[in-house]
Parts: sequence; structure tokens; C-alpha cells
Amino acid sequence: MTDNPYQQNRGNKDASITNPHGRGEIPFVESGKVVPAGTDGPFLIGDAMTGGYGRGPDILHSCTIAVNPGEIAVIVGPNGAGKSTAMKAIFGMLNVRSGSVRLAGEDITALSPQDRVVKGMGFVPQVRNIFPSMTVEENLEMGAFIRRDEIKSTMEQVYHLFPILKDKRNQAAGELSGGQRQQVAVGRALMTKPKVLMLDEPTAGVSPIVMDELFDRIIEVSRTGIPILMVEQNARQALEIADRGYVLVQGRNAHTGTGKELLADPEVRRSFLGG
Amino acid sequence: MDIINALVAIANYVLIPGMAYGSQLALGALGVTLVYGILRFSNFAHGDMMAFGTTITILFTWWFQSMGLHFGVLPTALLALPFGIGGAILLALGTDRTVYRFYRRKKADPVILVIVSMGVMFIMNGIVRFIIGVNDQNFADGSRFIISAREWKEWTGLAEPLALKSTQALTVVVAILVVAALFWFLNRTRTGKSMRAFSDNEDLALLSGINPERVVAVTWIIVAALATVAGVLYGLDKSFKAFTYFQLLLPIFASAIVGGLGNPLGAIAGGFVIAFSEVTVTYAWKKVVTYLLPESMAPDGLVQLLSTDYKFAVSFGILIIVLLFKPTGLFKGQSV
Amino acid sequence: MTFNMRATLLFAFVAVLFVLEGTTTVWIFSGSWNTSLGILNMALISAIMALGVNLQWGFAGLFNVGIMGFVALGGLATVLVSMPPSPGGFAAGGLGIISGLLMGAATLFVAIYAYGHMPKGRTRTLAMLAILIVGFFVYRAIFDPAVAAVEAITPASTGNLGGLNFGDPATYKERGWVTLLSWPVGGILAAGAAWIVGKAALGLRSDYLAIATMGVAEICVAILKNEDWLSRGVKNIIGIPRPVPYEVDLQNTPSFVERAASFGLDPTTASTIYVKLLYGVLFAAVLLFILWLAERALKSPWGRMMRAIRDNEVAAEAMGKDVTRRHLQIFILGSAVCGIAGAMMTTIDSQLTPGTYQPLRFTFLIWVMVILGGSGNNFGSVLGAFLVWWLWVQVEPMGLWLSDTLTAGLADDNWFRIRMQDAAAHMRLFTMGLLLLVVLRFSPRGLIPEK
Repeated sequence: MTDNPYQQNRGNKDASITNPHGRGEIPFVESGKVVPAGTDGPFLIGDAMTGGYGRGPDILHSCTIAVNPGEIAVIVGPNGAGKSTAMKAIFGMLNVRSGSVRLAGEDITALSPQDRVVKGMGFVPQVRNIFPSMTVEENLEMGAFIRRDEIKSTMEQVYHLFPILKDKRNQAAGELSGGQRQQVAVGRALMTKPKVLMLDEPTAGVSPIVMDELFDRIIEVSRTGIPILMVEQNARQALEIADRGYVLVQGRNAHTGTGKELLADPEVRRSFLGG
Repeated sequence: MDIINALVAIANYVLIPGMAYGSQLALGALGVTLVYGILRFSNFAHGDMMAFGTTITILFTWWFQSMGLHFGVLPTALLALPFGIGGAILLALGTDRTVYRFYRRKKADPVILVIVSMGVMFIMNGIVRFIIGVNDQNFADGSRFIISAREWKEWTGLAEPLALKSTQALTVVVAILVVAALFWFLNRTRTGKSMRAFSDNEDLALLSGINPERVVAVTWIIVAALATVAGVLYGLDKSFKAFTYFQLLLPIFASAIVGGLGNPLGAIAGGFVIAFSEVTVTYAWKKVVTYLLPESMAPDGLVQLLSTDYKFAVSFGILIIVLLFKPTGLFKGQSV
Repeated sequence: MTFNMRATLLFAFVAVLFVLEGTTTVWIFSGSWNTSLGILNMALISAIMALGVNLQWGFAGLFNVGIMGFVALGGLATVLVSMPPSPGGFAAGGLGIISGLLMGAATLFVAIYAYGHMPKGRTRTLAMLAILIVGFFVYRAIFDPAVAAVEAITPASTGNLGGLNFGDPATYKERGWVTLLSWPVGGILAAGAAWIVGKAALGLRSDYLAIATMGVAEICVAILKNEDWLSRGVKNIIGIPRPVPYEVDLQNTPSFVERAASFGLDPTTASTIYVKLLYGVLFAAVLLFILWLAERALKSPWGRMMRAIRDNEVAAEAMGKDVTRRHLQIFILGSAVCGIAGAMMTTIDSQLTPGTYQPLRFTFLIWVMVILGGSGNNFGSVLGAFLVWWLWVQVEPMGLWLSDTLTAGLADDNWFRIRMQDAAAHMRLFTMGLLLLVVLRFSPRGLIPEK
């Protein structure tokens, strides 16, 4: 049961009148003003963010995450540390009560998620990150929805990055394997030509071989200059490729440093990496 | 000869009416299925939206007729149809703006929207009654038959008559055109694809920069147009009565569910399945049987499986059978 | 479920409405206790229906849009129980009809059995089809002639089997108490139908209750309209015996006339009010009894379990609760309550007119009552029923008053005045819709919220 009386469905799951398929959960927000914030800070930063879902308790406590072009920033931490929440806060899906989010010299804290997409932020959710009944190619097309220019070359780039998708371009994305779906998901986000790419556990539920492959591709994307921010469950592998690492514990920054520094930090090793 | 007569009788009493009725149901079910797929609830007000669009069309038809404006052999209602569609679109968008949008922003559960649509149903029903009353309204004109029973008999020399009402032919032709246009729109245009994307995964559509309000508005426009076309075709074929349109809700829902809710192709298939089952089961087969069997075995009764009053029972029976064996409908729908 | 201040005030407000209707002629009020009690009696019946729907929706989230069907079945029960058997009817075809129906039921049963016990494949499909087709024709062969025979007997007055009010047919109206028996029978009939619907719609992989109830309601009404042997179809059944005295008899009773005169009432008014009061007492007793039962049940472990299932089905299922079974149970109970109300309604009407069963009035209006009152709160449903029914009746006078006020300066034959008066007649549905939308928007939990 929720507090929202409009969401009280009394456990009804009558398929002849309601359609749970593909329902959205991102809360509706009206976009506020964008304020210039100076260009000296990092390209994208969630600065000292404190907040939670709706009117619920705070999950993040003065949490800071940042990333610059050409970098891969990785958020790791134990279960329930607020990793995905931090990512969502940067994307505007959370009620940030204090702190700010700045992108390319602008304070975008008050923007709605859809307006952040327009500002050039690409987001790949952890689950439900493809359009299952649409073909691979249509998925990519939808990724480029906000663009008015020619998208063919970007699509070729994506196909170049993920050759398997080219072979399956006319197949419904929902029929693909787990690893291939993740590729579609990342490909869709790349189609926006994002200024920053955010990945929420891109390797969740895929086999180790596929995981390595995906990490390779992510490094390749990063080399094109796109800043990448990602949340990862597989902390060790992720930190190995990370330029910046953030270890979160209970919604707070516990350790921050380059991937190598964190891997070398005895305390990080002991508490999160299993020795 | 008797076999041909029997076939003609089947065509006359089952095939032609079934095709026309099936087209009307399919158009209605398409509207229901689109709302289900994109707004994620079953719209109880759909029958009344059909009635509203038809009402506006009828008013314009009467006005055109009073000015002596006609459309040749075709019914004047076709000239008035765009105005009816326009009226229905205004109503649908107005309703969305004043009623549904609020709940969308609150992320209301679909079942709440179903109850809301009941309220909208009451209001639209009241509006239609207010504008045009509760009586039967006939607004068909133009030539009545493409093939009349008398002409048919003269041409073919067969004992069995066959009549093809122009409204029936019109219904099928218009339905095919509308459905083709809809499918082209959904599968080939950017906006159409964005609607499918929104139906598939609302959040991801948002993250792709697809504007939900725009998708919803376009959906209502299409649904209002479909509803009006279905309503006008039904009204031309039979006659207009506000209450009948409300009653169409059950066969329309049944069609959409049989085909697979949320699947446009299914809605069309479902419409024809329901229509043909209704017509077949409630048709008195005596004539056909008499032609086919030797005289000594001619039946006494009407050879009617169920009386016409039970046509709802047929929709419902088909529905249950399909759900028992294929819970997501004939075509894979979204109701899992 | 505290019966708090807010609820008390709201109920007091409703009471005032009814008192005003009975005492004053200002504004829209008629100043007639007859009208007031008439509205009240129907409101009592509506409240029972609302309780039934609230059981299903409020406490289990089951979406029933076929209330009309269960109400109609209750009405049928009244006919079947309280009318006398039609002379010669049963002898003409009663056995044929019963065996035909049994044959039909047996066919379905065998088909379902075959489905459950044969290996999957084409043979099973063919076997089922064969069973159904053969069964259908055998059923029609037995059933049709029997029906024809029954309907041939004095079709102008009976033409049906009649009911179970045995004894001298000439004086069946004197045995009005039999009609009271039909109320629980109405509940049982509705429960039976609900069991079938629930089995079919709740047992499926996902539930399809809404469309199923909608279909069954239409079928129930179609049967009433069509099966002349059962309820005379659209020829209606009139003269259903009453559990209360007839006005004419009261007017001819000297002692009653004397008592009436002592209150300063003329015999006609007194008798109608007296009869309505008696009905009111009967209905109120049933309402209070069902309300008491519902409240008791919901505070019992069973009720707690129902709410646990509603609020978190997954957890309840993990705890070993058979959710489908519980849902079926509460669906049957709620429908039975609607059936009882349906029988009561036919009783006060003294007639069964299948043509009057319309979904807007008997299904969707009840929904408005439940939502307005507060889903999940029994007292809310009762309040909602009283308010909505009062409004349903009074919207027309209100509309006329409004149109009169707006067109006060205009001549009687002014087109605008005529149009407005016309419109008043159609204001009912519009108002109900508006009411529902306003409540859903600004007070989505209803007037008396659940908690």
C-alpha cells in the first residue's frame, strides 16, 4: 500500500481492464530553471546530494559523484549502499533536497529527466532498458528520437561497436539473449549522441565472458571522448577500468580515488573486494 | 442449383452482414486496444465516444441535407464525417486535459483510471442524450443498394435473393482504408513508432526523449477518429441510438480481448471472430439446410442455434474459450 | 473503522435531506412523506447492493461490472419462489425442461471432465467438440418441445412454469410471507452464478473478472427477457405477492381508518405511508443484519486475512494462503448480497420487468455509490448509497428548478426555455459522472475513508 491514494489498486490485477505491461515509474516533475554555474568544475557533477524518493526518508547523504570527458567513473559499494539511487539522483528521478547537479557549466538540479535527455545525458537503466516488441533497428531509432539530423552514420557506428546487432537488426529486441539486450540498451543510449553516458549495472545477469566483452566495448566508447558514469556490482573488474572510483556506504561517500588507488587501498580491499 | 442457392443465402445472411459488423467491431476494438496499450486501462467511455462522434456527424449531415448538399450516390454522412471526427477529437483531448492528465501525473494505478473512465462514460452519455435525445435517428441517404435483391434475381435467375447494401460495402472499404493507414502510421512513421515505444516501455521512452504528453495526445486523436468512423459506419448500416452504442461496449471489449489486448492486429481479428460467431450462431439456418437436404428431410424449426437476444452470450462464450486456451488472446497481447 | 464525528455528521445530513423531503415544499422538496419514504426504501436496497460491491472491491480488489446480472437473478428468485405454479404448466413440460437443462449441464460437465482427463492433443479437442455438439443437439431436442408446450398454455396471462407458492392459486396473494423466503433464495441464485463466473474468470492465469461479469450480466438479463417459460420474458410478471398488507385492504379496515384519523391523516395517505414504513422496517432490518455480518467478518481472522491478501498478495501467497480461493469466496459472498437486494427490489415493485435492467442504473450507479462513500468502508458504502440514490431521484427536480430559474423571464413557448426543460431530463447521468469525477479527484478515498 502506498501513501498515494491514486495508486491504491487494492491488489486488483484484472487483465481485462488494466495493463501493467511497460508502466512507467519515473515520477512526473515540472522542469525548473537552469542556472549558469561556471565552467571550472568537472563536466558532470552531483555535488553533495542529499535526498530520497518522494517524501520518503533520505537515502543519500551529502553524496558527491563527478566525471570528466574521456573518463570512466565507477560507483561501487555494498548492497543497499545507494549506488543506483545516486545515479538516479543525478538524472533527476529523485527528490534532491540539498546539493546540486551541474552539467557543462550549468546547474540542472531543477530539470526533469526528459529535459536532461535533451541536455545530452544518456541513461541506460539496469532493467527494462529496451523496447522488447520493437526490432533492434527500431530500438536504435527511438534512441535518436530527439535528433533531427541524419542518424545513419551514428547507427553504423553502433553496429560497428556491436556487430551482432547488425545481424539481428530486424529481430524483436525482446527475443535476444541477455548480453545482446544489454548491447541494444547501450546502443540505444549512444544513438542520442550523448554528452555523457550513464550506465546502471550494465553487466547485471550476464555471463563472465559477455561481461568482459561489454567492458571492452565501454572502454572503446570512452575513448571516443564520451564521459561514462556507471554503477557496478562487480567491483574489482569495474575498478580496473575506472579512472575515478566512488565507494558508497549507506548513501555516503566512503572512499574516493582513481580505480588503481582504490584497488590498492587495504581498507577498500578488506571491506568490499574480499581481501 | 440448390447448392448455389444455399451459398447465396449464406453470403446474403451471414457473410455480408458479418463482414460489415466485423469491420465495425474491429474499428471499435482498435480504439479500445490503443488506449489499453498506451494509457494502460480499458476505456469504459469508448462506446459513448463513438456515440458522440456519430452525433456530431449526424448534426452536420442534417445541416448539409437541409442546404441541399449531397454526395452523389454516397451518403452525405461521409461529407460530415470529418466534422464529427473533429468534434470527437476536441472532446477526447478536452477530457484528457481536464480529467486523465491529472491522474497520469500522479502516476495513478490503471484501475483508478478505469473508474475514472466510468465517470467520463456517464458524462459523455449525458451529453449525447442532451444533444440528440434517446430516440432512433436515421441519417443514411444516397443510393441504398449496390445490388438489390430484385436486380440479383433478374441477373442470375436464381431463386435466392442477394442484396448488398451500399452502407455495407462502404463499411468494409472504409474500414480497410482506415486500418491500412493506421498500420502504416504505427510501423512507418516516427510518431507511430514512438507510440509503440511508449506502449512497450514508458520510462525508456521518456529517457529517449519521447514526450509522453504528445504520445497520449496523438493516441486520443487516433482513438477519437477511429471511434467516430466506427460509430458512423454502424449508424449508417443499422441506425443511431445512444443506448445501442453503449451496449456495443461488450462485443468491442470481447473483440479486443479475444485478439489480444494492446495488439492492433489482434483487435481486427477479434472483431471478425466475434462478428462472425454472433451472426452464425444466431442465424436461422432453415433456408440453407432446406436447399442442401433432400425435401423429405427438410427441417421443421428455424435451425437457429441461439435466439438473436443471446448474441452477447456468443461474444462471451468465444471470449471464455479463447481465454481458456490462449490467455493472451489470438495474437500475443499485453495482458499476461 | 471508527464511526467518527465526520461520519456521524454526514449521516445526519442525509437524514435531514429525507426529513426535508417529507416536511417542506420549498425548493425541490415535495413535502410528501410518501415520496420521502419511497426514496428511502430504494436507498436501503441500494445500500445493500453497495455493501456487496464493497465486499468485493473494497476488501479484495475484485472489479465486478456485472452487478446488474446478480440483481436480476435476485428478481428471478422472487418470481420462482413467491408466484403460484401456473396451472398445467409443469405437467405440460416441466420435466422436459428440467431434464433438458440437466442434459445441458451434464454435457458441459462431461466436456470439462474430458478436458481434464484426456491427454493433450487433437483427439482431446475433437472429443470435446463432439461431446459439445452432440450434447447441444440432444439438449435442444429435449428442451425445445417442452418449452413450446409450456409457453402454449394461456400465453396472455401465464405461459410459464410459475413459482413455488403452492396452495390455492386463487388466494396466492394472501401468502405474502412466501416472498420473504425468496430473498435468501435470490442470494443463493446469485451466489451460484458468481461461483460459475469466478471459477472461469479467477482460475485463469491472470484474472479477467471485469469482462466476465460484464458478459454474464448481459446473459442473465437476456435469459430473463427471452425465456418466456421461466419469467414470461418481456411480457413481465405482475402481481407478485407482498409481505406487507395491501393499501386497499387497510383502507377498508375500520380500525385502521380510525387510527389514521386520530393522526389527522386521510385513509389513502395513511395506508400508503404505513405500507412504505413496513417495507422500510423490513429493508432496514436486512441492511443492518448484513452490515453487522460484514463488520463482524472483517474484524475476524478471515477479514484480516482478506486485507492481508489485498495489501500484499505476494506475501500472503508465500504464507500459504490460497489467494484464488479466497477471492472466489468473497466474490460469491458479495454477489449473493447483491442477489438478496435484487429480490427485495422486485418485492417492493411487485413485478419483474426485465426490460428495466440497465447497466448504467444497476451496475455503474452502484459503483458511484461505493466510490463516493469510501471504498473499503462499509458505513461509507451505506452513506454513498443514500446520498447517490437521493440525488439520482432529485436531480430532475433540481434540473427543472435550475432551468426555470435561468429562463424565468422568458415565455413558456420560448425555444430556449423548452430546450432547457428538455435538458433537465438528461441531467441525471451527467451529474452522476461529474460527482464520481469530483470525488475521485479531490477525495479519492471517499467521504468516509477506510482508515
